[in-house]
Amino acid sequence: MASGLIGRLVGTKPSRLTTAARLIPARWTSTGAEAETKASSGGGRESKLKNFQIYRWNPDNPGKPELQNYQIDLKDCGPMVLDALIKIKNEMDPSLTFRRSCREGICGSCAMNIDGCNGLACLTKIQDGASETTITPLPHMFVIKDLVVDMTNFYNQYKSIEPWLKRKTPPSVPGKEILQSKKDRAKLDGMYECILCACCSTSCPSYWWNPESYLGPAALLHANRWISDSRDEYTKERLEAIDDEFKLYRCHTILNCARACPKGLNPGKQITHIKQLQR
Amino acid sequence: MGASKLSGMQKQVLSLYRGFLRAARSKPIEDRKRIEMIVSTEFRHNSKEVDRKNFQYIEYLLRLGTKQLDQLKSPDIVSLSSVKVVASKS
Repeated sequence: MASGLIGRLVGTKPSRLTTAARLIPARWTSTGAEAETKASSGGGRESKLKNFQIYRWNPDNPGKPELQNYQIDLKDCGPMVLDALIKIKNEMDPSLTFRRSCREGICGSCAMNIDGCNGLACLTKIQDGASETTITPLPHMFVIKDLVVDMTNFYNQYKSIEPWLKRKTPPSVPGKEILQSKKDRAKLDGMYECILCACCSTSCPSYWWNPESYLGPAALLHANRWISDSRDEYTKERLEAIDDEFKLYRCHTILNCARACPKGLNPGKQITHIKQLQR
Repeated sequence: MGASKLSGMQKQVLSLYRGFLRAARSKPIEDRKRIEMIVSTEFRHNSKEVDRKNFQYIEYLLRLGTKQLDQLKSPDIVSLSSVKVVASKS
């Protein structure tokens, strides 16, 4: 039992390692268990029920927020949590409200807290087994309705770092793109893939306690993306703009952000890079 | 006139109401009356209907109101209008 737990934490299973490239600890990503049950149950049409506890709060009928229970037959449902949510909305309760768009983990709309971990509903597999799954909105964010949270503060912080190319001199060949070597472009890897889902910022305890003054891992990751861009000429000004007790130095390398990121990025590492440049 | 010591939340509500009335002053005269009418009915209705202890809902309404006020303050916005919707229980 203990070894099974340790195996899950490390993210590898001795004989059931799937093609999951990113090992996300403490969460089921391999479907070894599912393959086993399919093989053993044969062809019977037995239903595999699973309970979902979903956070509900309606501003039109305001009371206390509650966890409402829904039961889903996993045989009739897709593998991801978003499939379950859509099934509940279609068949059981049309008033369930949540954001979603691409269903493939690129838009970042369906970010929510699933079983205590922040992640994208469209990329998180439903955990097999009889235990309940708890779905709540992103922690420490103002709730607009059910699983929809107010992201305006998050977006304003992203806007405040001026996430666009700024130059003092015109490009060397006017009207053409500014050239960049492969090595310089490789410096942006691990930062340009950010989809602004807010999973990292809302998993950071430092961001919970200072959401208005601390920029949060997502905004700082993007700040580093523009600071490290060789084509941008305002590096010094960008560094000075965030060289602030609250904007940058509320980060205490808790590194919950790297654990939460559904795209496998490491905002904590990028923040350390910024801190090293500030000298 | 009012309560002797207003709580922080009450002060926020009053300051939001004041903000709306000030924003209304910058609009043309008949739009100004319409804005004042809508805002005052909304606030009076909520003050009666909403439980004083329901902090979460009051904060939600405050945030909603602040966003609407920011929109109203912009010079491009001319006036407010409202539609009465009755929820049917069919």
